[in-house]
Amino acid sequence: MANVARKLSAPRRGVGNAFWSFMKSPGFARMLFPVAVILFWLGAMNVIISIWPFMAEVLPTPLEVWGAMWDELIDPFVDGIQAATRANVYATFGRSLIRLGAGFAIAMVLGTIIGLAMGLSKSVDAFFHDWVMAILAMPALAWALFLSLAFGFGHTGPILTVILTGIPFVIVNIREGVRNTPRELFDMARSYQVPQQRITRHVLVPSLMPFMFAAVRYAFSIGWKGLVIAEVFGGQDGAGWTIKFWYDAHRAHAVVGYAFFFILFAIVLEKIVFDPIQRRVFKWRPQITNLQLVEKMFDEPRLALDMATVADASAQPDGEGDRIDG
Amino acid sequence: MATTVEQERPEAASTEEALLRQRLRRERINKLVFRFLGYVFFLGIWEFASGRILEEALIPGPTRVAQTIGDIWGRGDVPDAFRATLLRIFVGFTISFLIGAIIGIISQNRWLEGFFKDAVLVSLTAPGLIWALITAIVFGNREIGPIIAIVLTTFALVTVNVSEGIRALPKDLVDMGKAFDVGLLRRNRHIVIPHLAPYLFTGLRFGFSIAWKVTVLTEVFSSSRGIGFEMRLATQLFQTDEFLAWVLMFFFFALFLEKVVLQAFERRFFRWRQEVAAA
Repeated sequence: MANVARKLSAPRRGVGNAFWSFMKSPGFARMLFPVAVILFWLGAMNVIISIWPFMAEVLPTPLEVWGAMWDELIDPFVDGIQAATRANVYATFGRSLIRLGAGFAIAMVLGTIIGLAMGLSKSVDAFFHDWVMAILAMPALAWALFLSLAFGFGHTGPILTVILTGIPFVIVNIREGVRNTPRELFDMARSYQVPQQRITRHVLVPSLMPFMFAAVRYAFSIGWKGLVIAEVFGGQDGAGWTIKFWYDAHRAHAVVGYAFFFILFAIVLEKIVFDPIQRRVFKWRPQITNLQLVEKMFDEPRLALDMATVADASAQPDGEGDRIDG
Repeated sequence: MATTVEQERPEAASTEEALLRQRLRRERINKLVFRFLGYVFFLGIWEFASGRILEEALIPGPTRVAQTIGDIWGRGDVPDAFRATLLRIFVGFTISFLIGAIIGIISQNRWLEGFFKDAVLVSLTAPGLIWALITAIVFGNREIGPIIAIVLTTFALVTVNVSEGIRALPKDLVDMGKAFDVGLLRRNRHIVIPHLAPYLFTGLRFGFSIAWKVTVLTEVFSSSRGIGFEMRLATQLFQTDEFLAWVLMFFFFALFLEKVVLQAFERRFFRWRQEVAAA
């Protein structure tokens, strides 16, 4: 309310006021952030170099970093000749994305099957529960190192890492989805003798959709984080391998530049791919309290998990038969 | 326990209640059996795979790993490595928690929220690997590297939880405070922070679960002590059993801290607040 009042009263009086209201807008603050980061970067560099003068050779300036990024971006268009050992950023990210896609698809299929079974049957749930939790809590680094030891360099290690890091999120979300299907609707459909196919199409699938989406989102982004680590240790090319390549070559500016590609990639994925889909998926169902919670915590599927465990804990002592949440 | 109670009064209770109790008991036993079967199944696959599907040097089975854990304990490397890693997590995550909470609280102001929006987004979405590598290449194996990496990866989790709490802030109380001319600091001290306490705690738990993973990751690249270093060493010497032993030891320890210690602490801390304890 206060904000609305301020907005109504503050502007529309001369250029000066318009300028100030622009300066005060959150959008301007958001644009200011990158500027502040660069200023901080330069300031911190000065401080560090004044303490340890030899650091001048290590610390990259923003311009050097931009140069490294520009080389990666423009490389193929300048002379068409590539250094034999490495590909440009499009090729490396492309290769990584293919691996990610393969692992992700397998994780989705297996995870959906296991998740459905766990949601539908308590016995299956008891069978898998502890192991899903354990795999979920295992750091991607452990998989990456172990699988690169076991399978050597190549595709197997990274793809298996994607599967193993992604699959628990699929399982947990699908299981929650099944548990949250509105049972009244099933009962009603059955009492009106709606055929099973139409029940599946019009009741089960729509109620599963938001959870399915959450599964896709988490599995994809967690799988990506796992994949780049796996490529560092067990890959021969790809995005993760390349940033390690620059690291081993002691090119700090290239490492930072490549890190910016990772950041840009993550932001594009979030803002341009997942957010619009999310808006679509959730349009018809504006209030799913549980899931909204999950959604806000991007990269914190643990919340979904915690809710699942809380639900388990509340279901266990009194052991009620079918848990139906409103 | 349940069986003795039922033996004492066999047909006294109403049959419906007895049936229900019987059903519940059967369910509980059923659950235990399947849980046990799950352990047998997965451990069995693991044991079977070692030496048959892949060589034993590549996938040492659970018995072998358990033996190795014993050996490593015997060597006496464990307390040192644990101490180094836990100290890093503690220092790094304390700083990160404070920064995250402060950013979350000052984000009540919309301008500042806009300012930090992208910082939070980047911290949540970018892979921890890039921070590990950047800090490793810039700071070498100085202690500040892992700490900065922990801060950059985990502060946003605290911030997100705090701003979640800010959104659920009791507006009427804040408005009343404003109406009675209570200053900004006192308003924050007496209304905002007590309200935020459970959200801060959730942030603490989530943040910790990421923090220990990032710490181990940074140790792989840039340190000469700690769990991550031991993992790297085992990998380079191609000793899979030692590698798995280190991973599992620290994994169980971190899970214990995360699920048992922090949760018990949380329950105790919020016992006075029914609605939080229940949620």
